[in-house]
Amino acid sequence: MVFSSLLFLFRFLPAILLCYYIVPRRFRNLVLFLFSLLFYAWGEPVYIVLMAVSIGISYAGGILVDRMKRAGRQKAARNALIVSLAASLSLLAFFKYADFAIGTVNGLTGADFSLLGLALPIGISFYTFQTMSYTIDVYRGEAGVQKNVISFGTYVVMFPQLIAGPIVQYKTVDAQLRGRKETPEEFALGVHRFLIGLGKKVLLANNAGELWDTISAMTVSEVPALTAWLGLLAYTLQIYFDFSAYSDMAIGLGHMFGFQFKENFNYPYLSKSITEFWRRWHISLSTWFREYVYIPLGGNRVKTGRHILNLLIVWFLTGFWHGASWNFVAWGLYYGVLLVIEKYVTGKYVEKLPGVLRHIYCMLLVMLGWNLFMFGDLSQSLEYFRALFGGFGSGLFDSQTIYLLLNNAVLLILLFFGSTELPKKLGEAFCARFADRNVCMVAARGILYAVIFLLSVAWLVDASYNPFLYFRF
Amino acid sequence: MNKVQSYNIITLFCILIFGFAIATLISPDTEYSETENRTLSQMPEASLSSLTDGSFESDYEDYLTDQFVLRDEWIALKTNVERLAGRTSSNDIFFADDDYLIEAHTDTFTTDQAETNIQLLTQFVEKYEGTFGTGHMTVMIVPNAIDILRDKLPAFASPYDEGEYLEQIETVLEESLEAHVWFDARSVLQEHSEEEIYYRTDHHWTTLGAFYVYQAWAEAQGYTVPTADSYVVETVTEEFEGTIQSKLGIHTVTDSIELYLDPADPYYTVEKDGSGEISYSLYDYSALETKSKYDIFFGGNNALTQITTRAGTGRKILVVKDSYAHCFVPFLLSEFDEIDVLDIRYYNQEISGLIEEEGYTDLLFLYNASGFAEDTSLTKLLY
Repeated sequence: MVFSSLLFLFRFLPAILLCYYIVPRRFRNLVLFLFSLLFYAWGEPVYIVLMAVSIGISYAGGILVDRMKRAGRQKAARNALIVSLAASLSLLAFFKYADFAIGTVNGLTGADFSLLGLALPIGISFYTFQTMSYTIDVYRGEAGVQKNVISFGTYVVMFPQLIAGPIVQYKTVDAQLRGRKETPEEFALGVHRFLIGLGKKVLLANNAGELWDTISAMTVSEVPALTAWLGLLAYTLQIYFDFSAYSDMAIGLGHMFGFQFKENFNYPYLSKSITEFWRRWHISLSTWFREYVYIPLGGNRVKTGRHILNLLIVWFLTGFWHGASWNFVAWGLYYGVLLVIEKYVTGKYVEKLPGVLRHIYCMLLVMLGWNLFMFGDLSQSLEYFRALFGGFGSGLFDSQTIYLLLNNAVLLILLFFGSTELPKKLGEAFCARFADRNVCMVAARGILYAVIFLLSVAWLVDASYNPFLYFRF
Repeated sequence: MNKVQSYNIITLFCILIFGFAIATLISPDTEYSETENRTLSQMPEASLSSLTDGSFESDYEDYLTDQFVLRDEWIALKTNVERLAGRTSSNDIFFADDDYLIEAHTDTFTTDQAETNIQLLTQFVEKYEGTFGTGHMTVMIVPNAIDILRDKLPAFASPYDEGEYLEQIETVLEESLEAHVWFDARSVLQEHSEEEIYYRTDHHWTTLGAFYVYQAWAEAQGYTVPTADSYVVETVTEEFEGTIQSKLGIHTVTDSIELYLDPADPYYTVEKDGSGEISYSLYDYSALETKSKYDIFFGGNNALTQITTRAGTGRKILVVKDSYAHCFVPFLLSEFDEIDVLDIRYYNQEISGLIEEEGYTDLLFLYNASGFAEDTSLTKLLY
């Protein structure tokens, strides 16, 4: 199930809100747990078993690690942790990477092992990372053990962040799982975040996606350079609005049930360097890799050669996490290399450039990165790269380019505007001008929410086009 | 936000989600959408197998979307906002000059189906080349409005060129056959592109468009060539809102439907699907009372319509067609003793048996270009 659907808005959400707030507090985790299972099982009931196994592994792993530690058996605790992590990772490896491995072996050796053709279980990359963070944190003593299987299960399957993040570390919600207080202020904040996210997804990301689909459906060798750039720009905007909208909705829904999840995006397209970009983009994933891979490897407190290797390992894994295919690996390593170069070579020169140039430098590299990311295989990326730089001799632009620009002008302006802090700042300035209790301001808010909501519903009733890009990961 | 304001926001949100949820629950389900001209999804039946294979879930979502309260109004809202935002197309439909709504058919002609259909048509014509012979077989694929009314499209719009696809069909046919079968309806319509040859709100051509093409074809075939004066033109409605408008959910303008009637009012009989029930008109006036007023021609689609006339020409024709033929066939009344109109999409017997049995002298294959490219039942041509 996705948030941006009539089913979620008008069946699932009313039902869970009703049940959640009717039952006594001690049953609220159970309500969340059961509804989350329904949310996950909807459309793909079989993988609920996999989910249960995954929960079981980490739940048992946590208890075991904790018991060994209490008994002072540090080595046994470590072994329990390793077994639990290996089990979690092997599930991920099997369901996500088996076919890729088989394909690679076939390609290298000329063997002909048949592919398994398993459908990727939705959200497996996200929830595996969550459960792993739990056992590691218990081992490190950063999180307490959770003996209540419902509470632990709720953490893993909690529907807001289940299928596309943010990747919630157990230690950040431990206290909230044990006892939280839902308040009207927080619920209203949740409504705000959810509706902003819904509008970003349905009204902006989907339309940007349609523009990209139009252009990507063309024969690449016939696409004029500017049309290719327009397509890349549309994809760049789509993936940001799509993914950050999902995080907005997840965070908003969390608030409605009394949870505070950490932010996942912080206006990444305002970045002026690649280093900054990765501090603002998919923050929960970068945090995960930093805490559980990069720092354990020694981080930057090692010799230069080792540090570069650490960076490349982390970025290889980051790319590979996104999908079982070489283009994601290439995309990850691309960033690894850029970050190394920025750190050791160009960083100090880039810093001296005027802000506008730094911004252009960063966005250009990010867009070329998406060119690696957006196709299923590298050869398509290279073809598209060629089109971007006029390598097919299809000219600079044609009437189609102008038509697409004109037809999407308002959309593009909204997308540009929406990727900056301007809307937020304008909103705050507006609020500051009127006193907090001002009727006019409350009315303005109400109208804004209602308009976003009604327009989103109109698009959903009409739409057949409503994908979530990050579903694939 | 303080507590009171928070409660305001929460109340608003709850009214919206609970309000529409309840409204959709209590509003009665509809079987059929008049505006969209299609059957709507109904509540699926839950069973263990449909739940586990995910079909119940996806059917339920279709059901919810189709039966969502105020469905038409939501779609209209979207179209209107898109127009306000300066879009000149929506749902692959152009808002063209002179209030024309024109379907772009963006992905229609580049599919495998579109390629396959050319092959199927060629094999079909080859199969019966000997039966009919040169001069007695015609393939007529009529271009859609997007091709003929190009000048009316918004500035810089550059949709797929249907002409390319039509030329491809022509080339394949010419290369595979001895006989010349292709009739170039496109050139005829292009000459009249300033006239009312397509509906503004519907995907069909008008009777006037069909008349021009018939006139040119009659000349090519050596039949009596009619002029505009040969008919009494009756405007049966000015309130026609066609399928393209329905897709957008808005009301723009209305179209007129014209019938070209032979003033001599010749006698003929019409029998549908071998039912034995005889009627005496190709026009079903009751369709004017419904949304799909184009169904006045033939009363809509049915598998096999057999018309017997007193033309006395000794010719007997089989028309294999889609709904573009509905306003074309009446022009044939004066030239053929028997006209059998076959819609392969609904016909479940062997076409070879029919051709053998009926002993036709002529064959006309008449489709519109996008309908032809998208048709999934053309394999039946070879049955």
